[in-house]
Amino acid sequence: MRTVWLASFPKSGNTWLRMLIANLLATGEQPIDINDLPPQGSIASGREPFDEWTQIESGLLTFDEIDDLRPRVLEYIYAHPEEHIARAEAYSRNQGTTGTPPTRFVKVHDAYTLTRRGEPLLAGRRGADGAVVLVRDPRDVAPSFANHNRTGIDQAIATMANRECAFCAQTNRQFGQLRQRMLSWSDHVASWLDQSDLPILLLRYEELLADTAGALRNVLSFAHYDTEPKRIHRAVRLARFSELRAQEAAKGFREAPRPSSGNQFFRRGIAGGWRDELTSAQVARLEADHGAMMKRLGYHLVSDAMPVHAE
Amino acid sequence: MHRYRVCGLTVGSDIMLPGLNAATSATPTHDVTIELGTTPTSLSDATANGPTWQIAGQQFLLAIPGIARFLLTDGHHITVTPDTDGDPTDIPIFILGTVFGILLHQRGQIVLHASAVRVNGKAVLFCGRSGSGKSTMAAALAKHGFPVVADDVGAISITAGATPTVHPEGRHLKLWAQAIDRLDLAAGRGDRVRRRLEKYYVAPDDVFVQSLPLAAIYILREARPPHRPGIEQQAAIDGALALRQNAYRPHLVNRMGQKTDYFRAASAIVNSASLFTLTRPLDFKAMPAVIASLEQNWQDIGLLDKAA
Repeated sequence: MRTVWLASFPKSGNTWLRMLIANLLATGEQPIDINDLPPQGSIASGREPFDEWTQIESGLLTFDEIDDLRPRVLEYIYAHPEEHIARAEAYSRNQGTTGTPPTRFVKVHDAYTLTRRGEPLLAGRRGADGAVVLVRDPRDVAPSFANHNRTGIDQAIATMANRECAFCAQTNRQFGQLRQRMLSWSDHVASWLDQSDLPILLLRYEELLADTAGALRNVLSFAHYDTEPKRIHRAVRLARFSELRAQEAAKGFREAPRPSSGNQFFRRGIAGGWRDELTSAQVARLEADHGAMMKRLGYHLVSDAMPVHAE
Repeated sequence: MHRYRVCGLTVGSDIMLPGLNAATSATPTHDVTIELGTTPTSLSDATANGPTWQIAGQQFLLAIPGIARFLLTDGHHITVTPDTDGDPTDIPIFILGTVFGILLHQRGQIVLHASAVRVNGKAVLFCGRSGSGKSTMAAALAKHGFPVVADDVGAISITAGATPTVHPEGRHLKLWAQAIDRLDLAAGRGDRVRRRLEKYYVAPDDVFVQSLPLAAIYILREARPPHRPGIEQQAAIDGALALRQNAYRPHLVNRMGQKTDYFRAASAIVNSASLFTLTRPLDFKAMPAVIASLEQNWQDIGLLDKAA
């Protein structure tokens, strides 16, 4: 079984892509339950697998000590696919289908960093076969990130510029996930694009939105995941944004940061929403922070199009 | 030699274990001996291994980088080799939960990843994965008058024809700074479990060594869709799987050939104790309501007298 990271900064369409992939396993016209995804779609930073495979209580280790061991855990998991296959088979049986997917897609929000010992945190080629690097216009990430973190947009913009941005990094409590260093938005994307350990497929959220079936086909082809074209088209139908939103409205989404807060995880799911959500000052700030990477990814900057005013 | 009583076992240790209640009486022999010494870096003839551990027959080798290597033999001997560049004061906390939990698996003991409190002379267990709030639940209940029986390792003994019993873990709670603050436990706060962690020993008010009959097991679950807050009784048929999944180290149940033991234990347990899921938000503000619902549940199952 192959392993492919779905690597992205938060709020870049990672969960939507996982839902699309999950719905390849749907039977008939019944969408996969957003709260019952196939087990191989989990996240690389889960605490439980770390504790279970190392037999060490991660809650007794410092973040750096955990990071030192994460490559060992990820390469062990990669080298022992029998556990995932067993879980995938059990899920298929439960869903009334047969067969197991040939590829395990694993969400990851960690930037591609090295441990203090100089090893790739995600174990390089010993941890996965490749990575789909999913990026989204940071001007659309910012309002979504603010909603996710229940902060204002300015705070989200500041967080995206923080070169030490991390999830689950407070030291006075324990989270269900291990600390994930994401770095700034630009550094995050660069870390994945510029590493040379793993082959990558760069996918822009905007392309996924514009031609979902085509983008999904590219992802599957990159991952050596053979499936029938009709399954791809059905998955696109069953995981359309309105369906995900409706499921969340009806029963909640277990992966939402605070399921009871009333904030929708599946919020807008559009490209260019920033035009009516950000002030011009916020746009200018994001472009100043991330302009170089935005241009590299082909996002047009407002600041480039504007005539230069005299002071 | 330092002497302790852990999970019903007498322990003699070269290493002082600060989070344990000292044994009140000295016994000439010990069920478990902990010694400093040399250990191999790997086991020849290993039949199972993971990223940090190996099993060969009755030997289990665990290497925690920067801390120590631990060799567990026959379920009664632990040899500890401190890492040369480590801080020796970091070692005890790893012996208490991690290493002792594996040792209990090696002894063939039924051991759940659980905290426990005493209610009306009986033991009530709270199972859950790391970070599910086991210690916090036990600490909050202790403050409410239900003394702590276990923090992390729930050792159960099964005797044919009798109610299963739970052995007090005999150690202090270990709690994060946030939990100590939010549960108002600063008065009982001891040292940090490691110098570099904001996790502290919290001494129990009530120390006891006798094992207690098992009354109920709650599997802790965060209230996330589709699971709503509340207490639900689990069907006996699900009990065997639930118990195996909540073993201290589920993976070791298979690797150490304990699957049948857990299956037998589950039938003994569901015959005499109730098995529930306890679903609640992971929020300190919800704790009083959770405790109230537990007390109601204990009245319903006859563990507590009905309130007047």
